Amino acid sequence: MDSALIPEGAKRCPFPVFATGIAVVGAVLLWGVYAMGLCWLKGLNQTNMNDYYGFAIWIWADLAVIAIGGGAFFTGLLKYVFGIDELKNIINLAVVIGFICYSSALLILAIDIGQPLRGWFIFWHANVHSMLTEVAFCLSLYFAVLTIEFIPLILENRQIDKVPFFHNLSHNMHGIMAVFAATGAFLSCFHQGSLGGVAGVLYGRPFAYREGLLVWPWTFFLFTWSAAAYGPCFTLLVAKMFEGITRKKLVKDNVIHLLAKISGWMITTYIIAKIIDTIYWAGVTAPDMGFSFMDFYSNNSFYGIWILFTEIVLCGIVPAVILTIKKYRENKKLLLVAICLGVFGVCLNRWVMVLQVMAVPVMSFDTWALYLPSWQEIATTILPVAYGIILISLAYRYLPIFPQEQELYGTK
Amino acid sequence: MTQDNHGKAHKFGMVIDLDKCTGCGSCMVACMSENNVPFKEDETNKKDSLTWMTVFKLTNEKKFPETDICYMPRPCMHCGGKGDHGHSPCVSVCPATATDYGYDTGIVSQIYTRCFGCRYCMGACPYHARYFNWWDPKWPDGMEEYLSPDVSPRMRGVVEKCSFCYHRYQEARDRAYYEERRDNIEEGEYQTACTQACPAGAITFGDLHNPEHQVYKLVKPDPHQCGKPRNPKAFRLLERLQTNPKVYYISEREWVRKAGDNYRKGEWGQEKQPVHDKGHK
Amino acid sequence: MKIDRRSFLGLGLGAAAGVAASPVTWKLTDDSSIWTQNWPWTPVPRDGEVSFDDTVCTLCSGNCGISIRKIDGRAVKIEGKKGYPVNDGGICLHGISGLQYLYDPSRVRFPMVKSGDNWKQASWEEAIALVATKIKELRKNGMADSLACVTGSDQGSIAGLYKRLLMAVGSQNFYTTDTMDKSWEMLIAKMHGVSAAAGFDIANSDYVLSFGTGFIEGWGSPVNNFLANSSRKERQAKFVQVEYRLSNTAAAADVWLPAKPGTETDLALGICSAMITANLYNSEFAQKAGKDFDAFAKLVNEKYAPELVSRTTGIDVSKIKNIAVEFAKAKAPLAIAGRGKGDSAGSLMEFAAVHAINCLAGNINKVGGFWTLEKQPALTWPSLEMDDAATKGYAKPPVGAMVANVSGSSGAGTSGAGISGAGIFSAVVSSVSGQTTNSVSRLFEVVNISEKSPVELLMVYNANPCFTLHNAKAVKDAVNKIPFVVSFSSYMDETSQLADVILPSHMFLEMSQDIYSGAGIAQKVTAISKSVVTPVFDTKNPGDAIIEIAKAMEGSIASSFPWKNYDACLESVTGKLWASLSEEGYVASELTPPATSVAADFSVFANFSGIPAIEGEEKSYPLTLVSVDTIRLASGVFASSPFAVKTVEDTVLLKNDTLIEINPETADKVGVCHGDYAVISTPVGEAKVRVNVFDGIMPGVVAMPEGLGHSLGAAGEVVTKDGAGMARIVGATSIITTTGGVSSKTGALENRYIGGKGINVNDLIGPVTDPVSGLDVAWGIRARISRV
Ligand SMILES: Nc1nc2c(c(=O)[nH]1)N[C@H]1C(S)=C(S)[C@@H](COP(=O)(O)OP(=O)(O)OC[C@H]3O[C@@H](n4cnc5c(=O)[nH]c(N)nc54)[C@H](O)[C@@H]3O)O[C@H]1N2
Ligand SMILES: Nc1nc2c(c(=O)[nH]1)N[C@H]1C(S)=C(S)[C@@H](COP(=O)(O)OP(=O)(O)OC[C@H]3O[C@@H](n4cnc5c(=O)[nH]c(N)nc54)[C@H](O)[C@@H]3O)O[C@H]1N2
Ligand code: SF4
Ligand code: SF4
Ligand code: SF4
Ligand code: SF4
Ligand code: SF4
Ligand SMILES: [Mo]
Repeated sequence: MDSALIPEGAKRCPFPVFATGIAVVGAVLLWGVYAMGLCWLKGLNQTNMNDYYGFAIWIWADLAVIAIGGGAFFTGLLKYVFGIDELKNIINLAVVIGFICYSSALLILAIDIGQPLRGWFIFWHANVHSMLTEVAFCLSLYFAVLTIEFIPLILENRQIDKVPFFHNLSHNMHGIMAVFAATGAFLSCFHQGSLGGVAGVLYGRPFAYREGLLVWPWTFFLFTWSAAAYGPCFTLLVAKMFEGITRKKLVKDNVIHLLAKISGWMITTYIIAKIIDTIYWAGVTAPDMGFSFMDFYSNNSFYGIWILFTEIVLCGIVPAVILTIKKYRENKKLLLVAICLGVFGVCLNRWVMVLQVMAVPVMSFDTWALYLPSWQEIATTILPVAYGIILISLAYRYLPIFPQEQELYGTK
Repeated sequence: MTQDNHGKAHKFGMVIDLDKCTGCGSCMVACMSENNVPFKEDETNKKDSLTWMTVFKLTNEKKFPETDICYMPRPCMHCGGKGDHGHSPCVSVCPATATDYGYDTGIVSQIYTRCFGCRYCMGACPYHARYFNWWDPKWPDGMEEYLSPDVSPRMRGVVEKCSFCYHRYQEARDRAYYEERRDNIEEGEYQTACTQACPAGAITFGDLHNPEHQVYKLVKPDPHQCGKPRNPKAFRLLERLQTNPKVYYISEREWVRKAGDNYRKGEWGQEKQPVHDKGHK
Repeated sequence: MKIDRRSFLGLGLGAAAGVAASPVTWKLTDDSSIWTQNWPWTPVPRDGEVSFDDTVCTLCSGNCGISIRKIDGRAVKIEGKKGYPVNDGGICLHGISGLQYLYDPSRVRFPMVKSGDNWKQASWEEAIALVATKIKELRKNGMADSLACVTGSDQGSIAGLYKRLLMAVGSQNFYTTDTMDKSWEMLIAKMHGVSAAAGFDIANSDYVLSFGTGFIEGWGSPVNNFLANSSRKERQAKFVQVEYRLSNTAAAADVWLPAKPGTETDLALGICSAMITANLYNSEFAQKAGKDFDAFAKLVNEKYAPELVSRTTGIDVSKIKNIAVEFAKAKAPLAIAGRGKGDSAGSLMEFAAVHAINCLAGNINKVGGFWTLEKQPALTWPSLEMDDAATKGYAKPPVGAMVANVSGSSGAGTSGAGISGAGIFSAVVSSVSGQTTNSVSRLFEVVNISEKSPVELLMVYNANPCFTLHNAKAVKDAVNKIPFVVSFSSYMDETSQLADVILPSHMFLEMSQDIYSGAGIAQKVTAISKSVVTPVFDTKNPGDAIIEIAKAMEGSIASSFPWKNYDACLESVTGKLWASLSEEGYVASELTPPATSVAADFSVFANFSGIPAIEGEEKSYPLTLVSVDTIRLASGVFASSPFAVKTVEDTVLLKNDTLIEINPETADKVGVCHGDYAVISTPVGEAKVRVNVFDGIMPGVVAMPEGLGHSLGAAGEVVTKDGAGMARIVGATSIITTTGGVSSKTGALENRYIGGKGINVNDLIGPVTDPVSGLDVAWGIRARISRV
């Protein structure tokens, strides 16, 4: 039915099966859209946020999708700037994921602000001292870059490619893609960092506050680093998921292993930095503000020390070890465990840097604040997931996002 | 960016005597009435209840009959921020400059029509002094007749907080200029609504830069320590965070003063002084 | 021109770029943000000329001077009046909220007559004619005395007009609610033989010993007390609070003495004993009192020696002796009684025991001491005509008469239930100074136990007995039983809900009246309030309503009310004072000791054997429930304003649940944790509540706040003259609220900011009649808590 649009030689499931799948996910999407509409029309009273929890699950989702979308800028950087050519076989996937993640982040931000129609004030009345201003600028610019990176891929659709203009456009864009990728990587470094800075500059919140370099707190660098380290895990996870669902090999092992190895070493260096940061914060920064380390991890049912252990050891050291050691990395199951832990770990880190920051009492007589999101918040958080699934399915079906697919499929 | 204020900038501040405060709540209501603060049918969720001035209840956590309580009224602290340079926790993070530091007054403003409701400032404020308009403000039929035009009612989706009754400052300043006294505002001319209402006289308000003013005499702010009080019975909330509040508390009770900040075991009494940047002015 | 794919795309892109670059986009973006700043549903207050208008707040007996800030004549803010003798610029949260009372959604907007389950709007002429006709009928049937009236106080010319109307009609059934002022007046009459009000010169005292007074919870003149409390440090005055709970007053005190509930009298006598033993008392008083004093000394030394009292009160002997010494040695010591806000009466013997300390110290009518103050300046009323029906009716004793009995201190254990057994229409037992008391609790008790209500027509003004009286549910039953009830309330409160006619009064900012400062302040301030805002609704000054009712009844009644209107009446009855009152707004009397020094009569202690116990037996009710006052909740005639409710802590009210305060030890015994639901039961009723665990309350004591559990609104619909439903007019919808487990349907005129929230503690506590004064002196009841 839609075979004319499907990449040449690729085999896709029958259209009705595809359409049914999309319809199911589409229903979830509509649920999210409905919740989004409620938030826009009735305001943020639709959420369970309050004056203690001004930042909550949405900001976490924002930070998390951007972290796991970090595979796009980092892979781009490696391929275009450092010239690691094998990565061309996964860069398309990374770009699509990046596009989805960043567009989702922008959407969530548009829901999250109390006056969405004034959202542009952040640019118009920009306060250069604010990390959020930096976030907004870099995020929007990088989204523009990702769009530019995405366009040639769309143009490679079998039918569009037939139009000479688009064919040429695509070709020319590929030619200058390195410039965009480099710009993107630079921008991305900054906004990943400024997202880290969002929490790190809060000197009224000893749990979040970090000292740093010039105007940037350590979390600035840690966020960029962790996104670069863990982002590829998510790219790999999505590739693995595609392979699982389609039961086809889509990316060659050498590519997978290469990216996994790079990720592994990045995680290793990151986690060392994170441990040093934690020790310095626990031993110097927080005590100067009157807090002992365990003040942040006790007296409540949720934020126990387990959370730090999980983040650093289970989701940091463990995947670092697996991914850096060739034997483990090349074991399919261990690889999967490692990338899953990696993705979970970076999401957990973002959770801690948003939700736990709000939960920890600062005044000596204050109490821990716990929070459960409303259904509207959950639906709007799932909304980008549904949107992502639909977009990536369309991309997979109609665009050559796995350049090695034909080759692999043919030799199978 | 100190503005020329005919050579002299104000630094308005407040001193609250916790031994006089009875926890009566007049200050809270005076503020709500002065500043058109709305109310809802259910205000028992204190985490979404707009009270620019709120009164915390502290206890010494001792068993009966050794128990003691202390009420601590908390407006916005109008933090000077690190080094008292005006980079208050909230002002420094607002991406849209919707909250700003008044270098001529020390007052942290909030511009409702500029705020787009990102709530970053709320996360930054350790005192919970900022409130978000989760709901449209609504008054029972006819009751909006009592609203004051001096302070605009806020719309849903923006943050609000104590302004040190800025409109009263504007009025006093205008009168001073009109009477050709330039910016020479008498101590009694600019008083906040909560100060005026407090039946216990627990709140004192004035210019911390003016040694003639009561607030100065009560706490003797140290200009080399960003205004840290030199009166040993006075303290500021969370002094160690270097937010440099302009609201001071006084109490004879040691446990109360200790509750004003965080101390690790054994630190109280010999706490490390925060190394303040060089103070403003 | 052939449009191929390429040119189509080109055109599309070009158009998009064009639109983006044109001013349209930017204009629309800008407009969208301007629109959010001008949402039509966010009010824009009108601006205008600023002016101030002064009057007096009458929301409580403090009577603070207030200043109303207006913009273009529209009241926008209430502030304390600087220089006013009571409050000097200070103001409590209720006073500031005055404008919320003005526009309260539960305000009665016009006269209303009950018709079936609904209400019908009536004109003032119709409503007044209806009431007048009813009274005329009663008089024709020889039942003039079956007209009764309940008011909050008997002070002032408006209360005077009600009393006068009753007299002209022929009824002695005039009742005011019991307050500590009444107890003090009776005690002063007995111990000092003068008719005077109690004055406490707290501001000049250097040692205040308070027996559970909510000194800063709203007792007496709240703002005045706050000021006195604040100046304590500078004056080097000491403040000792006796209370079983760490109230805000106890927390503010220098010394907190948590005596077991109900043992305050013992403690007071123990202190007396210690003072006498150590010979630390004023012998002048003792000599004048003669052998009555010797008997008193014997009584306290034998039965209330500190060693004995220490056991009952739980206070160390050394502490008791120490207090006695400090008190005696202080320059201007002062002992005070009157629990909480002083909104209820106290046991006369308890007050006597406390006052004995004052007498021993000899600080009566001295700076910083206890003052016997001349009661309000006498109003000059013209002579009253009583026709036959009136004379006959007036000869009959009031329904709720209690004759105080001082010699028969019949001792502990006398409860309201015991009293109910007495003869219905005959006054209860013998005499004190020949003074009979009209007890409002007794009135409703008699109505309840009589087959047919002895009251045919009840008028209620400035009182809400269905909420504020103990065993409020029984009071509601009684009010329901009374055939015709006329409410003069401004609000659709618990009592007006049960009325047959409502003649809505102005609220205090809309009316003139004469005002007299109450107890607690050692200075008498007489003030005149005036209408500072244009009445918002079709309401009347109740003084005018009474004059019009009287006029409608013609004959001797009408001629007893010769004034054109209330303002004319006010001017005439205030007589000489009028000139200065109308000019200055108030007259404050200086403290001048009476010409003759007062003596103390200790015979009140002859046969003393304790004070009435609270209701309930210990076995099935192991705990003591006490009602407690907090300044943030209005607990009298007025319900709390939305602003006030907003200040209430979530340890007092959470959503619609009242929290009871208990010690962790009590919580452990019951097996409940902070925030848990529990059921509290007393001999009078039970309620589902939540638990607030607090260290500052004595184990075994349960505290419940006064002022919650209101239902404010009309059950059924209010139909206006043009036939439209009120619910539609005010936009209110009928909802079901659950109050204390009882469903009450309220519709129009509803206030949901306080209405429907929490439990009325008066539903759980029954009245306890003081055998000495005849007043209801309940302050608690035995109780049990069970888990749910
Ligand atoms: N709480 C609160 N905050 C607000 C507002 C509010 O309504 N309430 N409004 C907001 C708005 S709309 C605005 S515009 C801003 C205004 O905020 P600011 O710009 O801070 O305005 P002003 O407080 O008027 O301060 C101006 C300063 O300039 C000084 N000045 C006066 N004349 C001269 C002169 O000739 N030369 C120099 N060099 N200085 C002079 C004055 O003494 C004063 O110190 O505040 C914003 N913030
Ligand atoms: N006395 C005095 N006068 C001044 C100044 C001063 O400092 N003192 N400052 C000057 C300056 S810098 C400025 S910017 C101007 C500001 O002067 P105005 O523009 O008059 O500013 P405001 O008084 O803050 O607000 C104006 C009105 O807008 C209403 N309002 C609030 N929100 C909304 C809304 O969403 N929709 C609509 N329709 N109305 C709303 C408010 O209730 C208020 O009545 O004043 C100038 N004049
Ligand atoms: S008004 Fe005064 S006494 Fe009352 S709570 Fe506020 S500061 Fe304390
Ligand atoms: S108290 Fe909070 S809102 Fe006020 S200036 Fe300080 S950080 Fe900002
Ligand atoms: S909520 Fe408003 S004031 Fe606060 S940071 Fe955001 S834009 Fe600024
Ligand atoms: S200073 Fe003004 S705005 Fe601030 S709390 Fe007091 S009354 Fe409210
Ligand atoms: S203390 Fe009483 S009289 Fe004074 S303002 Fe408050 S309610 Fe009014
Ligand atoms: Mo302005």
